[in-house]
Amino acid sequence: MPAAIELRGVGVVRRTQEELHYDLKRTTLDILRGRVRKIRRHTVLDCIDLRVDHGEKIGVIGPNGSGKSTLLKLVAGVLAPTRGTVATEGTIAPLIEIGVGFDPELTLVDNVVYYGVLMGHHESLVREHVDDILEFAELGSIRDQPTKTLSSGMSARLGFAIATEFRPDILLLDEVLAVGDERFRRRCAARIDRFWDANSTIVLVSHDLGSIARTCDRVIWIEGGRIEFDGPAETGVERYLASVPGTHGFTSGNDLVELARVSKNGEVPVRGTSPTPQGLRLYLVRENGLRHYISNDEFYAKTNYAWEDIVHVDDALILEVPEGERIS
Amino acid sequence: MKRMLELVRMTAVRSLKVRYRGTALGVLWSLANPLMMTAVYTTIFGTAYSQYYGGSIVRYILAAFVGLVVVGFFMASTSEALASVVGNGTLLNKIAVPPAVFPLAAVAANVFQQAVTTFPILLFVALVVTHDATRAVLLPFVLLGLVLLATGFGLALSALYVFFRDLAHVWTIVGFILWITSPLFYPAEIAPAQIRPWFVVNPVAIEMSALRDVVIGTGPVHFDTVVLACLSGLAACALGALFFAAVRREFMDLL
Repeated sequence: MPAAIELRGVGVVRRTQEELHYDLKRTTLDILRGRVRKIRRHTVLDCIDLRVDHGEKIGVIGPNGSGKSTLLKLVAGVLAPTRGTVATEGTIAPLIEIGVGFDPELTLVDNVVYYGVLMGHHESLVREHVDDILEFAELGSIRDQPTKTLSSGMSARLGFAIATEFRPDILLLDEVLAVGDERFRRRCAARIDRFWDANSTIVLVSHDLGSIARTCDRVIWIEGGRIEFDGPAETGVERYLASVPGTHGFTSGNDLVELARVSKNGEVPVRGTSPTPQGLRLYLVRENGLRHYISNDEFYAKTNYAWEDIVHVDDALILEVPEGERIS
Repeated sequence: MKRMLELVRMTAVRSLKVRYRGTALGVLWSLANPLMMTAVYTTIFGTAYSQYYGGSIVRYILAAFVGLVVVGFFMASTSEALASVVGNGTLLNKIAVPPAVFPLAAVAANVFQQAVTTFPILLFVALVVTHDATRAVLLPFVLLGLVLLATGFGLALSALYVFFRDLAHVWTIVGFILWITSPLFYPAEIAPAQIRPWFVVNPVAIEMSALRDVVIGTGPVHFDTVVLACLSGLAACALGALFFAAVRREFMDLL
């Protein structure tokens, strides 16, 4: 029997972020000066061999930036591997940060239909399901309003409803359960549970290690783009936690500030701390010549910082910024 | 292939819906532009240049209108296509969609606009002015050449824009050069003799002269210009598609 997902010798090499600032003017000038900039690339995933059978529920864990989301993108077909092969069997519902890609000017119905067609369904089929989708998202009463009137929570609800309406063979979950209000979260969880009970193959990326250990059969721990562990969920989570020095169970901004002092270059890996989809947000703030880190709660409570004094560190590493450098 | 067509159709419909949301005249706006521009050109240059059109100001008006349809369609399609892949970057990062859908849909949306406004007028003019059924039959082929030309440029530009985000400025200038070197509002005869051969390498000018020959030409049809228009469209489309396919793999790292 063929596997639901099979990756063989997969490697992903991507251009680095600074290449984003490429432009024609600079390239032309560089060539005129006889200076050809070499494209910088880095390896995101390397030597990944993975076979997921039909109906398996598998959790993916690892520190931020280790390649978890890239793995989901490979399976979703959004990204092609640089080396190796990726094969999947069956329909795939991509749930990678749902809710984006709606056109703000179009009505809810038009966006639902368009999104459904993009996901690979026929227009007529999607139209049949429009009412159910809007009903699940609890947005049926404003179906003909432009989508820009939705709040971010509402549009996340709509995205979830579309993505899960058509029962997929393979469901990819990237920390999506934390959308909407508490009531909607329960409804999402109930729907996911139904997929869980059915024979859907599920790949779940999460920092909520407890829930992974409880719900998944198997865990893949990715570290530095390689599979560090592949086996029973509980064992994987235990070993992963044991590998993170001094971070066991810390959750507050204070602990992080402490860690920042301890670590050499001010880098603090944030691991397994937050169940929110964005992860823990941290800000580096300069105040009266002093620098300190604060978490998002504190940040929103105290908003009188000037923007250039703040480094927004989105769920990844906290990097010390040289004094006097402007942040944009 | 069928899925590709459905995606292009849905994407084109989406952009048309966005564009005409809340406008009373809807798609008729795309007729207003060439008509008003023709009026402007005629007011300013009509009397001076009508001598090159057998002293007929009507012929000048028609020539300017045909030229504006070509340039208007070409520039609108290509500039919309240019930003289309980057503009849908977040979407491409979520769902596996062939990126070529977006530039193709940008061109398709513009084809639809013209198909319900200016193209029927061109057919009508061709029948009334030339009294020549052959010309009316050739018209779709010339228009196809024009559409293919815009498609090729659109594909290439949308791919290049992924790598060079200042391309929009450059394209504004290149686009201006393309349209000023197409004899749109002036007769080709007034350009210096050394420059005139360059009109032939301008693909937009090629389409324009073929379309004028078919819509308002006199005497026997110049089949060579019609064939040239179709072939240059085909060539541009093929080159654009090849280029797009060649660099497509690099897109996702930069979106």
